[in-house]
Amino acid sequence: MDIIIEDGQEESPDADVEELKEELEAIQVTAEPIIEPTIPNITKEDFSEYPESYKDNTNKEKLILAYVENYRRQYVHLFRDRKPLFLNPLNECGIEKFVCTTLRPTLLSYKALYHWQGCAEFVADYLTMKQLEPPQELPMCLFSPSTILKRQLGNCFDFSNILCSLLLGAGYDAYVVSGYATKEICLADESRQICPLLQPKKEVLKEAEKPEPRKYTVKPPRDLRSKFIIKMEARRKKEAEEEEKKKQQEEEERIAELEKPPPDALYGLRIHAWVLVRGGKREVPEDFFIEPFTGQSYPPSSPSFLGIESVWNSTNYWANMQNCASGCKDMSFDLMDTEKWEYMLAGSDQTQIEIPDAEEELYDLDDDEKENEDEKHLDMPATWVLPICVTKNQYEMRCPQGKKTTLYKKAKLEKYANYLLKDGLVTRLSVYDNNELTDLKRVQESFENREDKLTTRVHQGGLITEDFVEGRPRSLQQHVYKASNPGPEAERTMTFFHKKLRVDGLCKREETPTEMTEHFVNRDDFLFLRHVLFGKRQKKVAPATAEGPPRPILKITEKFHRNDALSASKDVEEQIFIIHEDKIQITYHREDPNITASTRDFYKPPNAEEKGGSLQWSNDMTNTFQVNPHGSPAKNLAIYENLLQLIQTEQKSIQAVRSSEEEVKEILMDRQKEELASELAISVYDTERNEKAKKHRKELERLAMEEKLRRQEMEMDYLAPFLAQIGNPDKISKTQAFKLKEDCLADLKQRLIDKANLIQLRFEKETSELHKRQQDYQQKQVAMTKEDEEQYFNYCSEAMFRIHILELRLNRHKQMAPHKYMQLEQKLRQDPRLSEQRFVKIII
Amino acid sequence: MSRLYDTVEPSVIDDEMLRKAVEEQGPKEEAGKIAKQEGVDYCDVLSLRLDFRNILKVDNLWQFTKLTKLQMDNNIIEKIEGMDALVNLRWLDMSFNNIEMIEGLDKLTKLEDLTLFNNRITRLENMDSLPNLHVLSVGNNKIDQLDNLIYLRRFPNLRTLNLTGNPVCDDQGYKLFAVAYLSHLVYLDFRLIDEDTRQKAHSLYENKLGELMHNEKQAEVAIEAEKKAAQELLKHKDAYVEHLNSSVLFESMYKEDPEGMKLALLPGLQDMLKDFQDKFVEVCMKIFEFGMKEYEKRCKEMREFNTCIQDAEAANKKQAVTVIDAFEEYKKKLFTELLVTSDAEVQERKMNEYHEGVNETWDKLMGLEMQLVDQLEETIKDFERNMTDLMSQLVEYIQGLITQVRDLENSHNEKLLEMCMTVLEKVVKNEMDEELPDDLRMLFVDKDTIVNAIGASHDVHLIKIDNREDEIVTRSGAWLSGHMQKIHADECARNRARVVEITNYIDHLRDEIDTQFMP
Repeated sequence: MDIIIEDGQEESPDADVEELKEELEAIQVTAEPIIEPTIPNITKEDFSEYPESYKDNTNKEKLILAYVENYRRQYVHLFRDRKPLFLNPLNECGIEKFVCTTLRPTLLSYKALYHWQGCAEFVADYLTMKQLEPPQELPMCLFSPSTILKRQLGNCFDFSNILCSLLLGAGYDAYVVSGYATKEICLADESRQICPLLQPKKEVLKEAEKPEPRKYTVKPPRDLRSKFIIKMEARRKKEAEEEEKKKQQEEEERIAELEKPPPDALYGLRIHAWVLVRGGKREVPEDFFIEPFTGQSYPPSSPSFLGIESVWNSTNYWANMQNCASGCKDMSFDLMDTEKWEYMLAGSDQTQIEIPDAEEELYDLDDDEKENEDEKHLDMPATWVLPICVTKNQYEMRCPQGKKTTLYKKAKLEKYANYLLKDGLVTRLSVYDNNELTDLKRVQESFENREDKLTTRVHQGGLITEDFVEGRPRSLQQHVYKASNPGPEAERTMTFFHKKLRVDGLCKREETPTEMTEHFVNRDDFLFLRHVLFGKRQKKVAPATAEGPPRPILKITEKFHRNDALSASKDVEEQIFIIHEDKIQITYHREDPNITASTRDFYKPPNAEEKGGSLQWSNDMTNTFQVNPHGSPAKNLAIYENLLQLIQTEQKSIQAVRSSEEEVKEILMDRQKEELASELAISVYDTERNEKAKKHRKELERLAMEEKLRRQEMEMDYLAPFLAQIGNPDKISKTQAFKLKEDCLADLKQRLIDKANLIQLRFEKETSELHKRQQDYQQKQVAMTKEDEEQYFNYCSEAMFRIHILELRLNRHKQMAPHKYMQLEQKLRQDPRLSEQRFVKIII
Repeated sequence: MSRLYDTVEPSVIDDEMLRKAVEEQGPKEEAGKIAKQEGVDYCDVLSLRLDFRNILKVDNLWQFTKLTKLQMDNNIIEKIEGMDALVNLRWLDMSFNNIEMIEGLDKLTKLEDLTLFNNRITRLENMDSLPNLHVLSVGNNKIDQLDNLIYLRRFPNLRTLNLTGNPVCDDQGYKLFAVAYLSHLVYLDFRLIDEDTRQKAHSLYENKLGELMHNEKQAEVAIEAEKKAAQELLKHKDAYVEHLNSSVLFESMYKEDPEGMKLALLPGLQDMLKDFQDKFVEVCMKIFEFGMKEYEKRCKEMREFNTCIQDAEAANKKQAVTVIDAFEEYKKKLFTELLVTSDAEVQERKMNEYHEGVNETWDKLMGLEMQLVDQLEETIKDFERNMTDLMSQLVEYIQGLITQVRDLENSHNEKLLEMCMTVLEKVVKNEMDEELPDDLRMLFVDKDTIVNAIGASHDVHLIKIDNREDEIVTRSGAWLSGHMQKIHADECARNRARVVEITNYIDHLRDEIDTQFMP
């Protein structure tokens, strides 16, 4: 088939394409129907999102459902007045499923989900609760965990189901409980509860160990007071205390009465599901409940849980046979006790489950009797639900949209996902003074991943307390300041990480407008406290300027620890520089048995420090008290030298105070800048968020792609062969350009047609071959061995496959060819080498 | 060496020289003026330079007890002497003198830097009491024995050594020898010792050095063991039972007993003697063990007593300090108030208030002290009673045991007598089979002689035992009374000191307000 296409400058490309289409239409292949063995139907494609197990029951499941039905019937027969059990609800596809098979023990790869607290919190945060409708009836459906996780919406049964799956996966002895609870629990109403973050921590008060009475301990001085009076005093005190206590108690009772929830019409009828964790596994000391809506744990004796109908997990189902008249207080959770719990599957015995694999061999010895017994029991079919999976992104987002607000008693807790807010806020706890949440008392904000290492900020009573983690410049640990006056020289307290981090050993600096106290630890010069008293600034300079003169220092007090290398009477304990009086007061440490300390006061002449070393000495410059009256008084020379040294020290201390003030200012500036920028730190391992890394990676990818494209372009310059034909001229004339274009297009057309022809040729060859083989087969069919036959069938299927492929390819080629043609056309038109402007220029 | 004798008149260190030197080298300017006014005590001087003064004999330095640095170079000193008082000296320079022998440094235990450059020393010696020696400079001397360097091994801190200009340096192997034997050295003859030299020296002298070190180690171990044994013995002595854990007492009985020694040669007596010794030592061991046990008990008792006393004193001190601190606080406030007010009446009132406060403080402090004295007195009495009980228990028990010892001796004596009688009979009858030594035979002339001999032996033994007993009793008694006396004396001194302190403080308080606010 040879096709010559007339070139047409005027002819529209569409017409060309049409023509090409027609040409290709002419090439036809026909796949003949073939008598052959069945070709396997590859997949029964189903567009429903749920897998097979959701839409059907296996035989075993059917069996267990029958078993369940039997159980239910017996139960109803025996306990006519009890409510139905939650046994086989419908799933999302409307198929009955046994509740135990809806559980799927899963351990997710997040560290926090290895503990029950983490699991409970995750479930409570991740899903949005939906209350049962109506609240006193069991739901009709129980969806699979994967569906619930996708929708992030569920009722208490869905919550419990997922939570129990996670807990079982983490190795806890967990059960879903179906029962009755109070309205507050069912509606996850925590507004009458104290926020868990605010609950007072149990302080373990260690009683100071009483020293053993020693043999020679001196007797205390005789008490000369009247015993009677003391007794009467004590009695009176006690009475007053009791009175106080009584009042307090009454007050508390009154408040409790006021805060009691209004009576609930459906009390005791509200159906709820929660999780029971039994003690014994994972170092759980005793049984407790987890309420899935809030993630809180309750003891079984909690008055919020009013009764239990049944419990189950992935191994078995137990109906409760105990009386729940007094709630779950006296309930036994020994599920092996058949008096109290009616099990469903006899085979899946708890004890058997707990036997570790290692002991199994031991069991094999008396297998024979056991096996016979075992066979009688039906065991639990495999779960029908899809695996529970939570992606990292979902896990980090936690709550739907990454936000969640919970109301507690006099408190509001807002949770945000990491990186959701720009300033890194994760939780904000607002504490109010009244139940209506209008009188704000305290706001506690926690931050994560802050570049400035801020972790919490608390507003309370006009004070702001900011806590930081280690790693800041200047090692700031805590900063308390007045919200109304955050600037320098105001009231504030800064605490520092002093251990090894600060060279000057500063651990705390307290400031008021007129005072500054610095505390030090582990200094080589034994200084541990420096207290500065500032005077009022002289108002010579206009106070409006930001950098006024520094506050005048009135007094510096420095205190030192005992330096054991020196004798106590030479070791300074306290030195006070009273600067405005030109006075220095020194107090020395006390010698071991002494109770008084030596002191020495210096009255230095004014401006002594400016005159250098030529300080004139006079005897009235010092005043000494010496503890030991018999010791030789210090020489004037030594005192004089001491004074010179002290004058220097005073200068240094003033310097230190000034630099402290400077540091405060700098810290405040830094804080201000950081607050404005509020950047979040992103781990280098966080490939999703680390913008820089991401950009870098993207950039690399982009470059690689570009490089690839460029190389392709280089390789496939469609004009190159045609340009070569006319000798690669530097400039192309208009006629040449037209010629080139036509040639190029014609060449493509030819190639496309050639290709189609080629495919057709192959196809024909393949079919004829098949024909031949078929005829051959029909003739020799009788005499053929089984192997030959098989070979033939194999060949047939392969050939059919090839034919099919060729057919597909041809069709596709037909479809694609016009596009390719159009593309080239387009390209040629836009090719700079053939563009009109160039021709115009050349002509000019 | 540096100067000829007769060129300049030799001088001695006299008071004038010292005063001038101290003044010259003392503080300058204003401080110097003050120093001149009140004079400088020699005992406060820390460093002194006496160079180029033609000093022949070192003397008159005994006042400089705090001196740490002394320079006496470029004199004509011939003998190191007169420096026993300078116990704090760290730095001594006696270079360019005529010293012939190192001596007289025994008291300078803190010496770190010693320079004896350019003298006439021939041997390194007499420096055993300078363990801190860091730098030693003995260049330009007459040291000629290479082995003499081994003497310097005893200074573990010696880092710098200068020996240049000594005959010993002409020795080919001098440098390597020094490096090898003085492995702590860092600088030798003004040069840093490099690693190459060190290795070379080490490999060259490895064998000899090894032997030396082994010997040194053994000596060290022996000294250590001796020390330990001495300590142990001291402890035993404190328990009054020294040497009772061996047969020392038994042997001492026979040491001063010629008859007993002779009699010991009697046939058949050996076994009896052995038996006797065993029993004797056994009882001695009992005494020893009991004594040690009681000693531990006493120590514990004393420890407890001391801690209790300390606790009580500390608690009392704390109370007193609170009282004083409170008053100081009040005083500060009052003084500032007084400074501000100019009203004479108010001032008067405040002053009176202050004086009352002082009196009150005095009452409080003295009350506390009296209370402590009472408490301590009672406790000390208790302690004394307990200690006396303990001691009498000890003495009684030991006396009981010693009676056992005496009984043993008595029974042994009887047996011996009996045996001797039979022997005597045999001797008299001439039925003696074995030969007796002559001096022993001499005892068996008649009954009186042998009985006397045995009696004398017995007496000697009993006297020994009695002596030991007396020793224990008297020593323990003496210790107890001495110890109690000391406790009482200490307590008395403490009380005195405290009362003086309080009085001093109160006087100071009274003076203070007078000097500050009285015109």
